[in-house]
This record gives sequence, structure tokens and C-alpha cells, in this order.
Amino acid sequence: MKKDLNAALSEWLGEEGGRIGEVAIRRLGDAWMLCHVDDVSSAVLETSTRWEDARAIANYDDKGGYRPLKTAPNLAHGWLLKLGDVAALRFALDYLYPGMLGMWAAQMRGSFSPVNLRDTLNRQTGMYRVTQKITDEQADDLTGRMCNSKNGCLKSILWKIADDRALTTLPPAKFDLSFTPSNSLPLICQEACNLLVAEARKVVKASDPSKPE
Amino acid sequence: MKRKAHTALIIAGHGSTQNPDSSAPTWDHAEEIRRRGIFQEVHCAFWKEEPGFRQILNSVDAAEIYIVPNFISEGYFTKTVIPREFELTGEITRAGGRTIKYCEPVGSHPGMTQLLLARAEAIAPGVPKEQTTLFIVGHGTDLNENSAVAAKREVEAIEKCGIYEEVKNAYMEEAPLIAEWDTLSTQPNVVVVPFFIADGLHSYEDIPMLLGIADKSPGALSAAQQTVFSKNPYQMRGKTLYYASSIGTAPGFADTILDQVTEFDGKFGA
Repeated sequence: MKKDLNAALSEWLGEEGGRIGEVAIRRLGDAWMLCHVDDVSSAVLETSTRWEDARAIANYDDKGGYRPLKTAPNLAHGWLLKLGDVAALRFALDYLYPGMLGMWAAQMRGSFSPVNLRDTLNRQTGMYRVTQKITDEQADDLTGRMCNSKNGCLKSILWKIADDRALTTLPPAKFDLSFTPSNSLPLICQEACNLLVAEARKVVKASDPSKPE
Repeated sequence: MKRKAHTALIIAGHGSTQNPDSSAPTWDHAEEIRRRGIFQEVHCAFWKEEPGFRQILNSVDAAEIYIVPNFISEGYFTKTVIPREFELTGEITRAGGRTIKYCEPVGSHPGMTQLLLARAEAIAPGVPKEQTTLFIVGHGTDLNENSAVAAKREVEAIEKCGIYEEVKNAYMEEAPLIAEWDTLSTQPNVVVVPFFIADGLHSYEDIPMLLGIADKSPGALSAAQQTVFSKNPYQMRGKTLYYASSIGTAPGFADTILDQVTEFDGKFGA
């Protein structure tokens, strides 16, 4: 029987723990402790034992602003989750980094296939169909602005604009999972997210203002 | 509901890039269903938020999966977007060693009528129903969506119950307009229930302004603070007005999600 995701997570973390994105994961006996990586040494953290509280932690940045993209590098500080078992840990991580453990599992299984931006856009219907008109240069520029790790998104991008058109506006490390530190679970971008598609629509509309909304 | 040991449930919602209120009820219902221990796994997936429809299957261990759309009606999202993004071939899709069972949207379930009645009672307890108009408010003019049809169906079902003196549909953007609630109603008491899946801009800003109970945008935090829903009743225009939060935030919605799974099994076999 294949190993389920919780078992794989527990095995990967071992006794030492590790990190994912901006979250440090430490083991304390049978329990798991999660906090912002910047807060590992802090003695004054708001503590909770409920995995459900990870939702509110993930939803707002330090200034109380909504975080539509959970892999943006603006996770709030000042919290500590003490969770009783790996199931609770998984639930919390699914709030903090939605879908990312699944992506990691798929990569380990080898059942992982990146989808190029052109394929993503060509699949769009309705109000997003117009995104198919974005030029390669516009898409490259947009991705550089939206997805950079400094103030955009922490994920490693594994897709291209098209098979014969790579992204050029981000550093090589952004596209290479081997740059993920050995004690970190990877954050993998298999396909352009809806946020990028929505921004692509704005770019196309802005370059052709004659088109009605 | 009977336990489904090696089975996963995915609740598919819309989500928002603007605020967390859109996805909040979907997460709430998932947490409630998870606590009941019926399914091996319970997941959420969203069109506008993460995890997305395209990525969630990577997180699922179970080989048998039910998808229930947390939408108020059939339409563009349930007929086009969700099937396309999950690569569904019909009600039952078998691919990659998995069986995916695609259920009807939550809002289509007949149990919605009782949920609406319960919400109306909860917001206006003890108010004489023979002197009350109940409004079920939809968006109206939704492209490709049948939410207005679903809202009309619910009004007809509630009327048949014979509980309220008057039951009416009203819409934000088409007649009959909810802004004219006082002239549309013949009764001294008015109960307004938004027929939406979540509290968002429509239920905590737009409709309150149309009702006249908010002069200006109270801001994005008002939904969490529930201020607009906590000041009932409103005495205005010679009537007593009770305003409820969206029907999709009702705790009973979790049961209706499960009911759609049961309906699916009844139709296609467990």
C-alpha cells in the first residue's frame, strides 16, 4: 500500500523538523510546534493548540491586510501553534500553504506535470478568454513582477510560457527545485495561478482599451 | 450519514482575491464535516483562491472522491469551469486509478427551503408571521447563472408552506428591486434573507445600502464584525426590518453538502 501524505510528511520531518516557506516546524515529543521562521527564538508568541487557528494566521499579514496568495512572502509574525499529531499538523499546513503538500507528494510520486502558460490561457473561457491575446513579452514581464520571491511569491516556477519560450525576467534559481534548502519542503508552482491569469487579463485590456470590459 | 471510510470529499467554492469572507463558509462547513469523521479526507478547492481546482487532487490520498460545488445554483461554474478544471467527463469520471463523483450544487438541494425558513425564524424570533413579508434576495442579471431561477423556486416552495403572509423574490440589479422593499411589502414586518453562498460585498455592503440601513460603505471588516446583522430590527419607512446574513453561512449548510452526496449515491449507486 502506498504511503499516505500524512505518513510521508511525518517521515520527512523526522525528529529534527524542518520548514516550509516562512514556517518553522519543530517536534516536541509527540507534538508539533509551528511559528514564523523569524520567531523561532521569540519568547512572546500568541499560542494556540487549535489547527483551525491557522486559517486566520494565513489570511492576514502583519498589518491586517488580506493575503489572497498564501505563498506571498508576507506571513504574519507573533504566533505559535502547538499541535498534538501529524493530522493536525497537516490541517494547519493546508491552511498556511494550501495545496503545497500535495504538490510535493506529486513531485515525489513522479505524477507531476507542469502546464505551460499558453496551455493555461488557451483553456480559459468567459471573461478570461481574452488572456490568450497576451504577448510572450507581456507575459514574461508580468510574471517577473507578480511572481518574484522578494515581494511576489515564494514558489519555484516549473512551467514556461511555451515549450520554446522560457521566462527570462526571474533569476535561474526561481525555476530550479535544487535551490530549495535541504531542510525545507518545496513550494512548487505547477501552473500559473488564477491571480496571474486575472492580471494577464488586465494587461491585455490595458493594451487594447477599445475592448469593452 | 454512514461512514465512507476510503473516500474523500472536495467542496468546490468560488473564493475571492479581495477578502476572506467568500471562502469562509466553505472552510467552516469542511471543518464541521471533518469533525464528524465520515470521510477519510475532506478538502476545499476554489476558483479564485488556493488550493485551486487544478491542484487539489494532488493532495488527495483516497481513490474515491466526491466533489460537491458550494454554489447557489447550476450555471457557468458548475457546468463549465469545475468540469473543465477537474477534467471531468460526466457525473462519474474514472481516470488515473480514481473515481470522481460529481454532485449537484448545494443550492439545488430541496433542503434549502428549510434552511431559509430556519434563518428567517432565527433573525426574527417571535415576530408574527401572518404580519410578515419574507424576501429572498438574489443578485439578478448574473451572466450564465441560474441563481434567479433558484431563488424563485425557493420562494414558491416557501409559499407552499403557508407560514408567512407574503413571500417575495427581490434582486439587486433587476426588478423587483430590493431597494423598493417597503413598497413591495404589504406587511408591517419585513425579513430579508440574501440567497448567496457567502457574506461578501453584496450582503454586507450593497444590499444594506439598497435597504437603506447603511448610508455608505461600512468597510471590508464589517462582515467579520457582523455589525450590519447585529442591529436588528431596523425601524424605518414605517416598517420593522430584519436583515439576515447570507444563507450559505448557515451551519445547516454542512448537512446539505452531505445530503448532495447521499442524493448522488441514490441516483448512481454508492
